Amino acid sequence: MDSYDIPESTSSRLKDHFIGATPLQKRLESVRKLTSFVPPSPQRKIPQCSQLQEDVDPQKVAFLLHKQWTLYSLTPLYKFSYTNLREYSKFLSAFIVAEKQKGLAVEVGEDLNIKVIFSTLLGMKGTQRDPDAFLVQILSKSHLPSENREGKVLWTGWFCCIFGDNLLETVSEDFTCLPLFLANGAETNTALIGTWFQKTFDCHFSPLAINAFNLSWMAAMWTACRMDHYVATTEFLWSVPCGPQSLDIAYAIHSEDAKALWDSVHKAPGEVTQEEVDLFMDCLCSHFHRHFKIHLSATRLVRVSTSVASAHTNGKIKILCHKYLIGVLAYLTELAIFQIE
Amino acid sequence: MDEIVAEFVKRTILKIPMAEMTTILKAWDFLSENQLQTINFRKRKESLVHDLVMLCEEKHASVNDAALLDIIYTQFHQHQKIWDVFQMTKEPGEDIDLFDMKQFKSSFKKILQRALKNVSVTFRDTEENAVWIRIAWGTQYKKPNQYKPTYVVYYSQTPYVFISSSRLRSSIPLLGQALTVASKHHRIVKMDFRSRYLDSLKAIVFKQYNQTFETHNASTPLQERNLELDINMDSRIIHENIIEKDRVQRVTQEIFGAYPQPRLEFAQYKLETKFKSDLNRGILAERKEPLRCLVKFSSPNLLEALKSLAPAGIADAPLSPLLTCIPQKRMNYFKIKDK
Repeated sequence: MDSYDIPESTSSRLKDHFIGATPLQKRLESVRKLTSFVPPSPQRKIPQCSQLQEDVDPQKVAFLLHKQWTLYSLTPLYKFSYTNLREYSKFLSAFIVAEKQKGLAVEVGEDLNIKVIFSTLLGMKGTQRDPDAFLVQILSKSHLPSENREGKVLWTGWFCCIFGDNLLETVSEDFTCLPLFLANGAETNTALIGTWFQKTFDCHFSPLAINAFNLSWMAAMWTACRMDHYVATTEFLWSVPCGPQSLDIAYAIHSEDAKALWDSVHKAPGEVTQEEVDLFMDCLCSHFHRHFKIHLSATRLVRVSTSVASAHTNGKIKILCHKYLIGVLAYLTELAIFQIE
Repeated sequence: MDEIVAEFVKRTILKIPMAEMTTILKAWDFLSENQLQTINFRKRKESLVHDLVMLCEEKHASVNDAALLDIIYTQFHQHQKIWDVFQMTKEPGEDIDLFDMKQFKSSFKKILQRALKNVSVTFRDTEENAVWIRIAWGTQYKKPNQYKPTYVVYYSQTPYVFISSSRLRSSIPLLGQALTVASKHHRIVKMDFRSRYLDSLKAIVFKQYNQTFETHNASTPLQERNLELDINMDSRIIHENIIEKDRVQRVTQEIFGAYPQPRLEFAQYKLETKFKSDLNRGILAERKEPLRCLVKFSSPNLLEALKSLAPAGIADAPLSPLLTCIPQKRMNYFKIKDK
């Protein structure tokens, strides 16, 4: 069984984060080496998520929580430079205003008095090798009595890379790898920003869909996280698009009970295996089947929600807990990298 | 017409979609034929509404007239409200008096007016010995709020009342009391049954849902028809599969019938049951506490969707009684515990 090479500079703290060969990383490697795909064996593991890196200031990232983000995967940016953020702000502002004036993406009464700000998000990374995450915001400049007052934020997007070593290894110096892009705000603005980035850095955005397999992993991993208190129930949403009428089945379980079920299923300390994820989901489905005689496994899992985060198959997520923010982003980065490859 | 009434009339007429304007105004029967003929219904809505309000002014429309229009609008747009079902019971041994609609209405109104100085009550009779009641709630000191009324539909020959869900929870006990006393019942109980589709609730509560079945294929037994279809579509289906498919169809039909299902949008189950593993792996074996779950099924037509699950292979046939009992029990909210 292969093991993942940990860079020597990694501190012992990082052992607690997502290291080790996940099923996806294995798949990635075999694709790159053009070997045939080996199905993940039950011994593939990823560690449970635990404490946040101390560099990230919880206050600074609070605005990332409790917001719905639409996910995209992003191919590496060509000749992007962190020293040019001011220029990028100016160019992007001008581009957006020009496009809106062309009438291509204007809503009635839309405010054209906007300003774009690029800023780096310090500490939002897995290893030191990960590039710095950065944030792009569109602010409304109107109703500002003075230059000092910040305008209202109309749109936010951020680019990050958490434990992206797999991708970093494959690209040259000219490229900056930030495979995970998260957007909040009007779709029209997302499209404009996307167009500008694609033109300027020769990159490509792709909506990141999350399939049922990964949703199950997320549900299991997030249920496994130790929480001081639960802010939400653990909830699953299945969709049955059968027959003449569609049917949605929402199955919520008290978070303490979900944790108890997980603890009963979980064997190896500090790690999560495919077998455990499958068993966890099987138990939930069999409990359901006992009452309703419906095979949830024959339907489509579309959404999972826990006190840590919630994710929908259409690529929309919400992160509720800053303690496990990096952990959640690491898994999403993996999915993004897998989609790019 | 004072300002408040004028505003109420205007806002009520404004709600009505243009396509339904003449129908609803005719049903209202407040403005005369002559008056309606003076109106140009092809105008822009704002200006049309203005003209109609002027006509109402001429005829000195009252709060009650406007309230009646509101009832008619709601009757045309029942699906905009969520309806709860309540059941009234009499004391055992009580005489079954002959129901007197006039006396019921007067008694109902008096009870509410005695309790709250300010309340508007409006009645509209409909077929099947039913009455629609609109109540606008006020307090001792405040005039009734005409924009948050409660609607009650009472089928006088039955103990059932349908009440529109409202956020004014404090009014429910008084409303219940007025209904029971005025209709000479003893108790009123809220059933765990709720939907936007009043006619479906009615069909299930009055067990009328099996009366709509009739297609030109009725003469051919269902099994034969399905067998033919299956064989034509896939001749590779082996004998056992046909038997099983047939069994599933038959069982499903026995439970759901061959008629269109009454329309419900959801069913909710609060489960507090222990986890029992078929796999015998001892999972949660020591845990005495049950798992607390909340399951909600949603669909544009829940019963039709449930009906299609077994034939699609997603559920076993017969389907769980927790689901199939919905029409019989007249419930779509359940609390399930281990015995």
